[in-house]
Amino acid sequence: MPEIPTTAPLPGQDHFVAPLGETPLEATGTLDTSRPPESQWKEAWKNLRRNVLFWVSAIILGFVLVVVAFPGLFTDLNPLKADLSRSLEGPSSGHIAGFDKQGYDVFARTIYGARASVSVGVACTLVVTILGLISGALAGFYGGWVDTIVSRIADIFFAIPLLLGAIVGLSVLNNAWPDRGFGGGVVAVTFALAAFGWPQVTRIARSAVLEVKNLEFVDAARAIGASQARNLWRHVVPNALAPVIVIATVSLGIFIVAEATLSFLGIGLPYGVVSWGNDISAAQNQIRSGQRLGVLFWPASALAVTVLGFILLGDAVQDALDPKSRKKD
Amino acid sequence: MAWYIIRRILQAVPVVLGATLLIYALVFLRPGDPIVALFGDKPVSEAVRAQIEAQYNFDKPFLVQWLLFLKGALTLDLGLSFSGQPVIDLIARAFPVTIKLAFMALVIESVLGIAAGFYAGIKRGKLFDSTMLVVSLLVIAVPIFVFGFLMQLVFGVKLAWAPVTVGGDASFTRLLIPAFVLGLVSFAYVLRLTRTSMIENLTADHVRTARAKGLTDGQVNRRHVLRNSLIPVVTYLGADLGTLMAGAIVTEGIFNVPGVGNLAWRAIQQGETPTIVSVVTVMVLIYVVMSLLVDLLYAWLDPRIRYA
Repeated sequence: MPEIPTTAPLPGQDHFVAPLGETPLEATGTLDTSRPPESQWKEAWKNLRRNVLFWVSAIILGFVLVVVAFPGLFTDLNPLKADLSRSLEGPSSGHIAGFDKQGYDVFARTIYGARASVSVGVACTLVVTILGLISGALAGFYGGWVDTIVSRIADIFFAIPLLLGAIVGLSVLNNAWPDRGFGGGVVAVTFALAAFGWPQVTRIARSAVLEVKNLEFVDAARAIGASQARNLWRHVVPNALAPVIVIATVSLGIFIVAEATLSFLGIGLPYGVVSWGNDISAAQNQIRSGQRLGVLFWPASALAVTVLGFILLGDAVQDALDPKSRKKD
Repeated sequence: MAWYIIRRILQAVPVVLGATLLIYALVFLRPGDPIVALFGDKPVSEAVRAQIEAQYNFDKPFLVQWLLFLKGALTLDLGLSFSGQPVIDLIARAFPVTIKLAFMALVIESVLGIAAGFYAGIKRGKLFDSTMLVVSLLVIAVPIFVFGFLMQLVFGVKLAWAPVTVGGDASFTRLLIPAFVLGLVSFAYVLRLTRTSMIENLTADHVRTARAKGLTDGQVNRRHVLRNSLIPVVTYLGADLGTLMAGAIVTEGIFNVPGVGNLAWRAIQQGETPTIVSVVTVMVLIYVVMSLLVDLLYAWLDPRIRYA
């Protein structure tokens, strides 16, 4: 049994001080101080690489992206070619998922449907992140009346539930722009979702900028004569990006589900667009009668796996970028 | 504290006004003539049109319409729906159903989510924890309407334990399955939040002290770890009520529940301004009140937080 150290103060000390030998600071010996410390992003990438979940999500999303870019690699069939005589026919050779009510090949539609979901998810996230970052950075950095105006407007949009706001917005767009095809459909859904989704990012960017803007290096930059704008975009924003990137990654999955929900309700992407939401919506009657569940299974699973990939990526990015939330293992 | 509450209420006023104006503007921008839609194939005579326009204030400029709506709203007169019923009556009939549904979902998600998150946190890395992790990811990734359909198929059509749709009689037992479906996604978030929070608190100093003074594992976990872990969960649940009520549009549609979601959906389809704006206003009010309550609750649960 080791000797229990006395905690009585030694002569000449007014309280107990542990002898140096008891507190080895080996770490200091191995630290390489000759080079500047690694940047936050390199550090984050190192953490990310070590995370199994990141690789699982990377494989899923890599595969999804290949499907989005080259759907022709996976099926020779035309997703828009219906053969009513084969309506609801089960799987057969060359048609591994069978046919839906209209006689479309379910597998081909599932493959081609990836494009719509991923486009809306990525477009929404981009718009929301850019809008939220700019407005949040301005509000947090300049404060005063800029902050008041931006924050109150953000509050208004934030108070309206995303789904409800998007439904009202799309009902307007649907009437104003009836025949909008694939591109127009993606633009309309993105617009409706982004209009009510940006305040979330604004709030996070604003508080991140508030935390950073009073740090020493910002003062230093100001002292050597950097302009306010340069200070904000070159020094403050790059250091406040981490939480914004985390919320952006998480939002990707949420927006994809939201798009499917809107299409399911019949006001998202136009009827003719091949999308998972539209196909799930069309499969409703098969589900209620319980026949040919494959018509539901394929688009729903594709959607779920894609969203799963984005959720896992969001979790991994959060672990890598936000040390506070890092799980202690 | 009283000042804090008053300030928060005053801050909420422009938010509520702005939200109604925003929705009003959106519906106003909607092209197409709701009066023509109302008459279907039949022609509308000028006199009738003028009368309807006057009744719904369609003949006045946009801002005047909005101000007239606000003026009416202050006296709980929200105007008439296109079928001639006072909107306030429609809302009074629909909201209790949705509030009941949302509360049932809230209870289901919190009981299941906290219990599962509690055990997953204690048994971290064990089979139960991994299973719950997979379950929560699945629940978040699979869209809610797919779950709705599957539950409807299994319990309504195949097993016939529950009615396929709720219909006019929104009783507790008939709402059980829709409430479960509505609460599913939030269940996954509650589970994840409780688990993370439990894991954080399990290594906290006060927990070590509690163990050191000889409390059993059960006592420590329940009284010291769980209680402190619930603070972020409670705030999540408070904010979730509004989300649940909005999410009810999908669930109520699938199970044909006569609630706000159904009401809002039909009104949006028809461009029925008074109903849409009224429903959104009530939703925004609920959100504002809930976020104030959550902030007050937060200070009460965690005395380290003080509001000036």
